[in-house]
Amino acid sequence: MGCGTSAATEAQGRLSEKDDSVKAPSPALTMKAAILIQRWYRRYVARLEIRRRYTWSIFQSIEYAGEQDQLQLSSFFSFMLDNFTQISGNGPDLISHLLDPALTEEEKQATFEGVEVSDSYSGPHISFPLTVSDTNALLSAFKAQQILHARYVLQLLYETKRFLKQMPNIIYLSTSYTKEITVCGDLHGRLDDLLLIFYKNGLPSTDNPYVFNGDFVDRGKKSIEIIIILFAFLLLYPDHMHLNRGNHEDHIMNLRYGFTKEVMQKYRTHGRQILQLLQDIFSLLPVATVIDDKVLIVHGGISDMTDLEFLGSIERQKIKSVLRLPKSFEDVEAERGLEKICGQAGSLRSAGGPSGGTRKRRCRRRKPSSGSSSSSSSSSSSSSSISSPRGASQVWSSPLPSPRVPSPTDLLQLPFLDSIVAVASLAPPREEAGWKQIVDLLWSDPKKQDGCTANTFRGGGCYFGPDVTRRLLQRHGLQLLIRSHECKQEGYEFCHDGQVITIFSASNYYEEGSNRGAYVKLGPDMVPRFFQYQVSRCTRKLTLHQRVSVAESSALKSLKEKLFAHRSELMAAFQEYDVNKTGCISITDWAQATESVLKLDLPWRTLRPRLARLAPDGAVEYQSCFEDVSAGQPVPQISPNLAETLYRYRTDLEIVFNIIDKDHSGLISIDEFRQTWKLFSSHLNVDVDDSAIDDLARSIDYNKDGSIDFNEFLEAFRVVHKLDTKEKQQG
Amino acid sequence: MAPKKPEPKKEAPKPAPAPSPEPEKAKEPDFDPKDITVSPPFKEAFMLFDRTPKCEMKISYAQCGDVIRALGQNPTNAEVMKVLGKPKPEEMNTKMMDFETFLPMFQHISKSKDRGTQEDFIEGLRVFDKEGNGSIMGAELRHVLVTLGEKMLEKEVEQMLSGQEDGNGCISYEAFVKHIMSG
Repeated sequence: MGCGTSAATEAQGRLSEKDDSVKAPSPALTMKAAILIQRWYRRYVARLEIRRRYTWSIFQSIEYAGEQDQLQLSSFFSFMLDNFTQISGNGPDLISHLLDPALTEEEKQATFEGVEVSDSYSGPHISFPLTVSDTNALLSAFKAQQILHARYVLQLLYETKRFLKQMPNIIYLSTSYTKEITVCGDLHGRLDDLLLIFYKNGLPSTDNPYVFNGDFVDRGKKSIEIIIILFAFLLLYPDHMHLNRGNHEDHIMNLRYGFTKEVMQKYRTHGRQILQLLQDIFSLLPVATVIDDKVLIVHGGISDMTDLEFLGSIERQKIKSVLRLPKSFEDVEAERGLEKICGQAGSLRSAGGPSGGTRKRRCRRRKPSSGSSSSSSSSSSSSSSISSPRGASQVWSSPLPSPRVPSPTDLLQLPFLDSIVAVASLAPPREEAGWKQIVDLLWSDPKKQDGCTANTFRGGGCYFGPDVTRRLLQRHGLQLLIRSHECKQEGYEFCHDGQVITIFSASNYYEEGSNRGAYVKLGPDMVPRFFQYQVSRCTRKLTLHQRVSVAESSALKSLKEKLFAHRSELMAAFQEYDVNKTGCISITDWAQATESVLKLDLPWRTLRPRLARLAPDGAVEYQSCFEDVSAGQPVPQISPNLAETLYRYRTDLEIVFNIIDKDHSGLISIDEFRQTWKLFSSHLNVDVDDSAIDDLARSIDYNKDGSIDFNEFLEAFRVVHKLDTKEKQQG
Repeated sequence: MAPKKPEPKKEAPKPAPAPSPEPEKAKEPDFDPKDITVSPPFKEAFMLFDRTPKCEMKISYAQCGDVIRALGQNPTNAEVMKVLGKPKPEEMNTKMMDFETFLPMFQHISKSKDRGTQEDFIEGLRVFDKEGNGSIMGAELRHVLVTLGEKMLEKEVEQMLSGQEDGNGCISYEAFVKHIMSG
């Protein structure tokens, strides 16, 4: 019997002594009280769980919807390609020109040897060949927030590149001489997660082999540190450390998702050289690892065309970015040839008009559409053979006028920044096929139904069903597929009857408390053992309730920003239901209208209390959706319509600016700005007149020197959340 | 003290097309079973708990209690088992139900008169307030919840009470009730 009971008896005794009129709690009453408390508590837990679940749905929907918005950007790029707008005054291969780091001759010749390490440098020193003391020094230095000197970075990258050149496309490992192999998933620049894995599982060594399954960089703030550590261990233990390429090991993705920016910020002088080297290294990373001929490890997934033998034979280093068509020759002739074909292809696309007006049909993540049924009839015979077997992608809804289609031209459906661009391919069929194989490995996702359909969501790879997995595993005598690429709440997930494991190693990916990270260990018995963890930034551990609240409030903020960004469309939809112009509509109508505009497939009725106010009669005051969010700073002389558009496409514009700003100075010329904006807006079908843009351009050229600091410009299109400000004011 | 009711529960009785005359912060409205027939908020909650591999819109028997509670009811485990038809323990995780099966179970629970209000909850806690000063000993409460009634696990109790006790191990129960009810 615990002290509690005796205390109660004591209390009962005391009470009866003190005051006869107070009834001592009888055991029956105590029991009843206990049950009452317990039932309320269980309710509380269930309600917390539902909040956790819808928070998760919000994060996922917004992430995927954000990728969907990229469709606009991609079609914008192809539009640029069509029109050969000489934005930087250079040659016709606009995209190549824009996207290459364009090193000067000097930079191309320079090696790490020329880089001096000054005496004032207080960071770690490393020497080659690397030893354990070097890796330890790096780990301690990064824990102490230090930065490795550019010279050492460059040297490390040179050595890594040399090493990777001798690696095959697919690495075959064996557990015969070691106990277990540890496989880790996406890290996305989260150094804390990597350090936590090493803490729990030990550093890589000859007794402790690791496979890191791609996506080391982007999104998180410590991508370069992770890369340095991984490459250092790679050089130190070449037979016990293995890295697979992920879809983010790609310089074009890095432009969009933050790695390029991080490198340029940390390494102002040598950043471009570092990035150029990384571009080569990423393409030299192996694309798959096989353990004991039983377990296949790839970053994304597979397709019904995946062929390991063929994969073993392609020249992977030629595929610098899966987002660009493979070029088999560098000379101008090719570019001119490209120009010609694109000119013809271009007219096909632009003739249909920009697709800006229509929102693309979103493939719901949990039930991807069977592509064939919705293939637009307009994707005519000239659409690439790559996508047609599975049903054409839904992206190109503009009709292609047939007379001008050169029949032998294959339009290659090419993923670009998470969406699809159709460009003529110059590469010989074999290289194109190889490229396609790699795209599939790095971008695909598993789905629940059988079959293999184009992954229009991501713009590359496909959705592969359990039958595809079964067939591939059988064909190659394999038992298990381990992949990453998708965030999972518990850090890992089985699917396809246990034949596929998704392993994801970045905890708190969306927000503090959103998910755990995990790694998996495989021994010779091939029975996977999972280990989960979660990085906690606070020294005092948050309670479950606090974690859910933090994640929920962050998700709701993103959701409110989405509402704000689509304000005019939403208001139009609401007003359609509000015949009497009362400012109120029913909850059902509100939910339907919101879903029809945003297409996020969220539980709107459950979320309603957090997003909109009810009138006394129970109807939704729809204006209240937008009350909480407002523009950060007022931008002068700008119409609300333009502001909203700029706000909505803020991220896209950021990418475009970063691309145009070749020397990463943060500045572009007014002319470049104007031209870019004109193209962008005409493609989006946004009605903005030239003078408005000119005014805008002039107003943001604060020092009147003809150049615009676009980061300042974009800052103007951030929003603030009023509740946040209020809370801050209240202290 | 006016109870702050959980929001989806408040929303639940509203019939879908026409707004019903109910103020936002009303005291707990009478549950109208008619409204169940057009009940998307319940369906949303049900779907959020659906973890079937093929998204079949089904939940296990073990989850039924959770979904009912997530929607704002607070049945005892005994009541849940009763409405489920007293399934065998091994069936709880394997037997599945769809939304149409779930709905009448939910209706039944929500019609129950025995739900208790915030005042009842406070009274329940007051039982343990020996000095009548508005606070209870955390240790005592823990012990009771783990040993009596529909026993909770120590881990669950820890979750519930974390952050609630002051330096002396006392919990001010009115604040505690507010915290639990606001979830």
